[in-house]
Amino acid sequence: MQERLSEIKNQAKDDLTKAGSIEEVETIKTRYLGRKGGVITEIIKTIPGLPPEQRSSTGKSANILKNEIGKWIEEKKDGFNTSADGSFSLPLPRLKGEIFDVTLPGEHKPYGRKHPLTQTIDEIKGIFKKLCFDIEYGPEVEHEYYNFDALNIPADHPSREDFDTFYLGNKRLLRSQTSTVQIRVMEKKKPPIRMIAPGKVFRPDTVDARHASMFHQIEGLMVDEGVSFSDLKYVLTLFAQSYFGQDIKMRFRPSFFPFTEPSAEIDISCSLCKGKGCSVCSQSGWVEVLGAGMVDPNVFDTVGYDSEKYTGFAFGMGVERLTMLKYGIDNIRLFFENDLRFLSQF
Amino acid sequence: MKISYNWLKDYCKHGLSVEKLAESLTNAGLVVDTVSPVEDDFCLEVEVTSNRPDCLGFIGVAREVATIVRGKLDIPDVGYDTMDENINDITSVTVEDNELCRRYTARIIKDVKIGPSPGWLQKKISSIGLRPVNNIVDITNYVLMESGQPLHAFDFNKLSESRIVVRRAKKAETMEAIDGSKCTLTDDMLVIADFQKPVAIAGIMGGKDTEVSDTTRNILLESAFFDPRSVRRVSRKLGLVSDSSYRFERRVDPECVDWASRRATKMILEIAGGQAVEGVIDQNYLEDKKVCVTLKMSHLNRLLGLQIEKDTAKDILGHLQFSINSETEDGFSVDVPSFRGDVYREIDLIEEVARIHGYDKIPIKSNIGVKLTQDNQFDKITEKTKNVISGLGFNEVITDSIVGDSQNRHGTLWSETSSLKILNPIRQDEDLLRKALVHNLLRVKKHNQNYGVEKTDIYELSKVYLPKEDDQLPEEKECLCLLGEEGYLALKGVIETILNHLNIADSLESTHFNFGLFCPEKSAELRLGDSVLGFIGELSKEVISDYGFRSKPCVAELDFNILIDKTNLESSYRKIPSFPVVTRDLAVVTDEDVTWADIKRCIESLKIDYVDDIEFFDVYRGKQIERGRKSIAFRITFRADDKTLKSDEVDILKEKILTNLSNSLGVNLRA
Repeated sequence: MQERLSEIKNQAKDDLTKAGSIEEVETIKTRYLGRKGGVITEIIKTIPGLPPEQRSSTGKSANILKNEIGKWIEEKKDGFNTSADGSFSLPLPRLKGEIFDVTLPGEHKPYGRKHPLTQTIDEIKGIFKKLCFDIEYGPEVEHEYYNFDALNIPADHPSREDFDTFYLGNKRLLRSQTSTVQIRVMEKKKPPIRMIAPGKVFRPDTVDARHASMFHQIEGLMVDEGVSFSDLKYVLTLFAQSYFGQDIKMRFRPSFFPFTEPSAEIDISCSLCKGKGCSVCSQSGWVEVLGAGMVDPNVFDTVGYDSEKYTGFAFGMGVERLTMLKYGIDNIRLFFENDLRFLSQF
Repeated sequence: MKISYNWLKDYCKHGLSVEKLAESLTNAGLVVDTVSPVEDDFCLEVEVTSNRPDCLGFIGVAREVATIVRGKLDIPDVGYDTMDENINDITSVTVEDNELCRRYTARIIKDVKIGPSPGWLQKKISSIGLRPVNNIVDITNYVLMESGQPLHAFDFNKLSESRIVVRRAKKAETMEAIDGSKCTLTDDMLVIADFQKPVAIAGIMGGKDTEVSDTTRNILLESAFFDPRSVRRVSRKLGLVSDSSYRFERRVDPECVDWASRRATKMILEIAGGQAVEGVIDQNYLEDKKVCVTLKMSHLNRLLGLQIEKDTAKDILGHLQFSINSETEDGFSVDVPSFRGDVYREIDLIEEVARIHGYDKIPIKSNIGVKLTQDNQFDKITEKTKNVISGLGFNEVITDSIVGDSQNRHGTLWSETSSLKILNPIRQDEDLLRKALVHNLLRVKKHNQNYGVEKTDIYELSKVYLPKEDDQLPEEKECLCLLGEEGYLALKGVIETILNHLNIADSLESTHFNFGLFCPEKSAELRLGDSVLGFIGELSKEVISDYGFRSKPCVAELDFNILIDKTNLESSYRKIPSFPVVTRDLAVVTDEDVTWADIKRCIESLKIDYVDDIEFFDVYRGKQIERGRKSIAFRITFRADDKTLKSDEVDILKEKILTNLSNSLGVNLRA
């Protein structure tokens, strides 16, 4: 068998030397290596029938020869693409009439994306990390105490009406705001505190294009000696400019939250109409993006902070709302339907 | 609260255009949502926050405007003439529950002439969306809107024994309200009754029987202060909300109770004629407590981060009708007016000054400086995990934590205890907190398939809620759920890649696992050391047909907390080997019940130092293999740290391995 292989080797070498064109080389390739009827191919097929002691060595030699002939064929072909003096000319077509189409689209590997809400949260976390805020989390099923009482929202008080809430019985509920995390963090840590807390919140709102029963908020809190409303404006201005752009206008207006005093709502100039008035901003030119305020001393008293010594500010924002504003998304339900045609746009 | 632009000018000649007025109110904390033209007037929809019931009347809003423009507040005169007859001679008021009814006043006007209100009055109340009824009802509504104090007029002649009893309802007592609704009352509800029966649900709505009608001649006018919490509770219980209940539950001004009654009496006399009976019945159980608060300018300026002069602060608070009663160099003390129940601390005064002075005047500056932040381990690992999964082509989804009962249809993964139930769900069929993510992912897959997206490689990293005993909060387990379209091994590969990137030392062990959701053959429980990491499986035929899937998805749900526990973020550099490897490819034939894990473990148990890696190739069943057996092909890589291994050395080791495989597992080299 080994002799037969060496004969084939010589014959192939001879044939290739004589070949004068690409077409001839292709014919030689088929003759020796063709899947059907190629000389080497046929020999490899006979190997399982050989006596066991010959199988391994014959297989090895046949494979070596196969690779060798393959290499010679490619070299020969390359030779036709190089001019006689060895310098390269434009590559000639590999086969008659075949031209590689460089305009064909690239081959794609699948690449997944994070959910747009995750991307927003990540971006906001990034901004606040630069301002030295820690990231904190808290439970989504909460005691009434953390969602209401500790936040200065007494039972039977109309201010509870601003926070429609899912109840689970035994004084448990699905948190309707991430402000719960403020209390949990202050119970655990002493000032100074700088933190934000992203997470899911739940409200039995009528579901429509702007409202979902589950959505995401990011709560923020900074407590230290001498923290002022000026600091609040500074931090939130940096945030808004970083997230929405340097050229936005901002408006801080008084509002009411039971756990902050004074309280503020923060509007930015509508990015869609540039403040001229459109449907997104209800013709006002402003869109509300943040709620904030100086932490109410009652809240400090509840968690055992000295409200004479420490002051602080808190703020909250809706992740869906910010994402919708940024991309011009008109229906909140898109976030939770998870249609890949939607998700793959971000 | 709807405000008429023209009507408001009765109380403050502010000189602002409607646009400027809306802007000024908004900047002071009363957000004007909309401004709509009404004939020659404008109706402003003002958002009044729950702490400011004083702004639920025109005078309260006018007070704000007068403060903003530093102008004058005009309060109407309430003086009128009376007849000789005294009210105590013709009626009485008994307050049986003075906790729920803190003040009750009654006046009587005789011989009124019921008819339509004059045009100016109809126009005013129409401008804020109220429907004119008759002169008496229109006047009570007018005064309600003007002062924020609700009033009610009874047809005096229809009151049994001509008297009022303020009491709790008797069990199962009923009353038909003015709006036609029939209320069944309970004994925790306060009612206004005559000698026999309830004639009004206190603070919420009057009764039909005693309402003012065309035949009414004499009127008993009620003005009261009811306990806010009680009104709120009863209003919710009965599902009855009115302009009155809205104000009572936010607390009306105790001192305005009598003023509003006088004001309405005066207007009735002017418009509907008749004569006022002398005197008033006034049962007042409110404590007359003056609230006095001290403001230090140093505190104010430090908290706000600006410099306001004391005179500015005094001027603002003066216009808001706080009266200054003493003064020091750094500040002053004020008496809080009765309509400002929300102000009782220095901080509340600071807010008043700040919002009128203008938040825009507070500088945007800070010296908060830098601070070391703590790395959040959870965030780090989450981010790393998500990046790996995304890189493998999976899209992240976020689904609702609130689910329906169908989540249990094919068995529950993490807990057998029944799910936490929401008492007040929006939809009755979606009232449970999920105990697993996988069902939600199947729904996402279904949604996508319905819209023609066939390949959905998706994942979610979110919480599931596993109930604990009694009133404890549930365990909120952070889970990672994956749905892949390439079968069991491909999805397991994704999980192995994640483990690898998280540098987890424990090896992943899989054991057959029977679970309703999965096809019994290709499903497994996954373990890392002693911990159950989660479950993986291709969907069972039943589930596939249940959802109508056209593909055969594989799903896995992992306990993310286990991944966090096992993650090792402190990886260190491993030296790149300097001596070459020698490999040996082997194909062995085994019984069906021998697993790859068995073979691998058997080789590892020899603890041969030079074995660097054992790499699985494939499993083959077919012609050349006996029925009931299978061939497993793999490669063993040998390597030494200190020398180049010789072929002979490796062959000896290979033989040792094969012998051990044969002895322990009955596994033999394929012929």
